[in-house]
Amino acid sequence: MDIQALRSQIEKIDTLPTIPSVLRKLLVVIENPGISLNEVGSFISNDPVLTSRVLKVVNSPVYGFPGRISSVSQALILLGLNVVKGMLLGVSVFEAMQKTMVGLWEHSLGCAITARIIAKKKDLKEPEEVSVAALLHDIGKVVLGLKFPDEYKKIMAEAETKDIFIFDAEKNYFGINHADAGAWIAQKWNFPYRLVEVIEYHHKPHLSKNVTMQTAIVHLSDILVRIKGFGFAGDNFVPAINNAAWQMLDLSEADLKDIIKEMEDSLSQAEDFLLSDE
Amino acid sequence: MSSLNTVVVISRDMVLTSIMDRILKDSYRVVDFSNMQSSLDYIYNSIPDMLIIDIGTDTDDFTVNIVNELKGDPIFGQLPVLAIFDDRFVIQDWDSLLVDDYLRKSCLEMELLTKVGLCMHRAERTIEVNPLTRLPGNIAIIKQIQKRLDAGDIFALAYADLDYFKPYNDRYGFSRGDEVLKMLGRLILNIVKGKQPHGSFVGHIGGDDFVFIMDSGYIEDASREILDNFNKIIPTFYDAEDRVRGFIESVDREGNKRTFPLIGISIGAVHNKIRKFSHYGEIAEVASEMKKYAKCTGGGCFRVDKRQHEFAH
Repeated sequence: MDIQALRSQIEKIDTLPTIPSVLRKLLVVIENPGISLNEVGSFISNDPVLTSRVLKVVNSPVYGFPGRISSVSQALILLGLNVVKGMLLGVSVFEAMQKTMVGLWEHSLGCAITARIIAKKKDLKEPEEVSVAALLHDIGKVVLGLKFPDEYKKIMAEAETKDIFIFDAEKNYFGINHADAGAWIAQKWNFPYRLVEVIEYHHKPHLSKNVTMQTAIVHLSDILVRIKGFGFAGDNFVPAINNAAWQMLDLSEADLKDIIKEMEDSLSQAEDFLLSDE
Repeated sequence: MSSLNTVVVISRDMVLTSIMDRILKDSYRVVDFSNMQSSLDYIYNSIPDMLIIDIGTDTDDFTVNIVNELKGDPIFGQLPVLAIFDDRFVIQDWDSLLVDDYLRKSCLEMELLTKVGLCMHRAERTIEVNPLTRLPGNIAIIKQIQKRLDAGDIFALAYADLDYFKPYNDRYGFSRGDEVLKMLGRLILNIVKGKQPHGSFVGHIGGDDFVFIMDSGYIEDASREILDNFNKIIPTFYDAEDRVRGFIESVDREGNKRTFPLIGISIGAVHNKIRKFSHYGEIAEVASEMKKYAKCTGGGCFRVDKRQHEFAH
């Protein structure tokens, strides 16, 4: 398919579905009249699709400050509880590829958690922003899987049989990979450039110009979560760490050990969230 | 009986007038005039709450012109006008008759009282808003404060404005400045309504001046929450290099180049628990006085009228 045609097809997407276990929990959240904005916020922050939905609305021209808000808690306070609840009422679930998507959700949430840990280690001012970027870094896979489920299944099979990375298999088929698709939709939805850039360059962190550290963190998180075998990102490989990103992060062996140790506890909580039904 | 709303009825038809009087007299103060001309002096001097005009079948040019001029005047534009039509009358063009609603003569008995009630209610609801934030504007704010004072309500009033907003506008331009104002309007609205869903009020005076009204027990918490969240969000409204530096370079009022901190908010609050106010001007003055005290060097500030606290202890 022609890349421009592909892009315009992807840009037509208005909403993304989530996975069934999240939707079931979501209904409980919405129906709880006493729930606080903070509780709704921490719930939304566990799910890439709910997070992108909230950011899309708050960054839409309707509210008058497009491209500014990259934090879920800030988005919620600017939208208000009623708007957020109303918006969540319309969330649907994947009809196809549910199993793949559950794996991708685990991978995304794992990255968000890991990126926050690294961001704190590196004393970044906005660890939440890096965590959101990590949660959304593979949103392009959600987009491609939703729009082209049959093709995407073939792509995953090809990655497996040919022993190649999923982003290479995507490129072979579409001429672009999920990082491009994710950046397109993030741009279309007026996400801040700080998120768009991380999504676009999480496999090529040396190309990031404005948010090099954030991109490097998400790049490393992606790799660490794969090493841990947490979730499923579409293939079973661990890509090499980009040298420029590794230099930039400047982590000692002890730092890395700390990070991995901290990941262990948090990841098991994440698993509970995504897989349990209460 | 002065608390009853006033309805002015204009009709040459005495039978019709007496029917309307009978229907409305228990709920409203009704003042009748036989034609538009004779009613004007009354309308201009005492601004009734509603106008009912018997148009009949002929849109008598003179009457219609006066109605249209009245509705075109910003002061009287809010005044709800109900036209009474003959049953077979068909209006050609609503632009030639600026009324808010109509009723046919044969429906008077059944509908008049309900229609009048709705018209007044709607006029009250459709307040003038600030075009930028869509929050209630100046007139609505004054009305809101005076209404509470007249009713003897105990409440707290807070004034908020921005520090270092002008250098931001100078550096980034007005449309970026408007983004900040829209964000602030949204922030104040959601925090105030979140803390006190009923009986609170948020208005936008204009520029970077905002007002909110709450029960006095909530105002301090809400103000602090507004300050905290604003300080967290505002850096994203700066370009990357300015955000990292934490200040911007711009020109001060004297034209000298200097550096300015990031935008902060000052909030001044006052309540009428101890000190009594009878006019909105008095309470507004104290609140804005508090806001001036609150002005400080960056990061935002909040100040309540301490003199009342001293009285209280």
